[in-house]
Amino acid sequence: MAFCVAILFSFPLELAAQADSTLVEEDEEDYNMYDDLEFVDGTAKRFANAKIKGLSPAKLISLGYDYQGGHDITAGAYLTATEEKAKLNAVHGTRFDANIPVISKNSLIVQLGARFWDVNYEFDDPASLTHPLLTTLANNNLRTVGLNSTVFKPLNETSFLLFQGSADMNGDFDIPDFQRLKYNRYSIAALWGKRPSDYKQWAIGVSRTYRAGELNYIPVILYNWTSVSNTWGTEILFPARGHLRYTLNPRNMLFVGFELEGNSYKVGNQNSAFVDPFDGKKDDLEIRRGELRFRFIYARQLIGFFWLSAQAGYRVNYSYNIDEVPNGTDFYRGFFGDQPLAMQNTLGNPFYFNVSINLVSP
Amino acid sequence: MNTLKAVLFLFVFSLSSMLSFAQEEGDKLIGVWEPSHGKAKVKVEKIGSKYYGKIVWLKEPNDPENGQPKVDRNNPDESMRTQPLKGYRILKDFVYAGENEWNEGTIYDPENGNTYSCTIKMKDENTLDIRGFIGVSALGRTDVWKRLQMPKKK
Repeated sequence: MAFCVAILFSFPLELAAQADSTLVEEDEEDYNMYDDLEFVDGTAKRFANAKIKGLSPAKLISLGYDYQGGHDITAGAYLTATEEKAKLNAVHGTRFDANIPVISKNSLIVQLGARFWDVNYEFDDPASLTHPLLTTLANNNLRTVGLNSTVFKPLNETSFLLFQGSADMNGDFDIPDFQRLKYNRYSIAALWGKRPSDYKQWAIGVSRTYRAGELNYIPVILYNWTSVSNTWGTEILFPARGHLRYTLNPRNMLFVGFELEGNSYKVGNQNSAFVDPFDGKKDDLEIRRGELRFRFIYARQLIGFFWLSAQAGYRVNYSYNIDEVPNGTDFYRGFFGDQPLAMQNTLGNPFYFNVSINLVSP
Repeated sequence: MNTLKAVLFLFVFSLSSMLSFAQEEGDKLIGVWEPSHGKAKVKVEKIGSKYYGKIVWLKEPNDPENGQPKVDRNNPDESMRTQPLKGYRILKDFVYAGENEWNEGTIYDPENGNTYSCTIKMKDENTLDIRGFIGVSALGRTDVWKRLQMPKKK
């Protein structure tokens, strides 16, 4: 928290309050004479704007804390380990995201980003755990270090292309002992869309994603809408997330909706918890974590371009199973594949909250 | 002594000429400009030694909710929320820095009530790159404005 406060007061800011030379002088200017002006050198090329009116501000830098309440975890039988149930007091950690526009102009927007997520599993009685998955989680945080890029390319005044790509290193590694790059997981999405007015934009496309915990190829739908009164709106990127927005004023917004989160975490097996009695230490296991979060979000401007986001909701486990992924070469199972799971695990569904301080974009 | 006075006079004269030339160079920003969205026209004027831009035309001049002329309803200063947008200065305090660049100014966005640091670069005599940013230029966005013909007074 002190770190967040330090950032707040060290960043140079200019607040609005247009109190001085904003107003026109007293002489009456005839504004009608500006009605039919032509461009000096022909016409201007117009491009679709990346945003519509009323959208929540885009986050340039975000630092947050995520907390899930107590729930049970049941680790399935695997090799010589029998099924074991344990109680988690909390699952919590830090989330840092940065998305910086490296090119930001009418005809092209390119953003580069990075993220670091850290998840700590707090067991009620870690000393009593015997199952290799549970001892692994008790002794190691699950971490994500990733890079991403977003490209928005308007084709004309109403059409656009949107590309997103990311490379994530997910696992139980320690910093700075990162795991090998061959265990990185890559996601991409490509959409084509239309912006028919200042109040609506939509797009359709396809994605290669790990949102449900394992590799999947699925369609993507974007739909952003704002009412003319700027009170109600939607911010949807289905199936990743979808929210209904209520705007109290441009500096205070409420949301209700969901987000599908997921990663495939490499189990480094540093503690040699997973051992095959015939093959020795197992180093080809990945936790396929997928979860659906239903939530309320309150976002408000704190000062200048710093915003607070506070969310509370219910986390529903979609997947916490484990696959064997030899040599890090992932495979596609999709919704209909029959590749067997190495371990089937279940998680309870707790309430959660998440608080973040965000530097938002112009 | 007379020689010294002459040298001093020449020095002051040259300096004032250079400053005057620089300021005249900066005056090429003066005119009427249209942002890329085409929903407004902004007239840039010089007041004192600085440049300001005010909204002189709106594509949608009236608020669709009440049919009244649009006002600055998103201004964080409540006392400013009834000010009409037409005539509103959104560019303020720009100073010519040479090499077709104006800086030290701010740009105000009535859509969200935010004020951004801003630099203006003239790409050619009829095209401006207006870059609004927060803190550092890297955290910003560039918009292209095009020059419009000056209006004939009716």
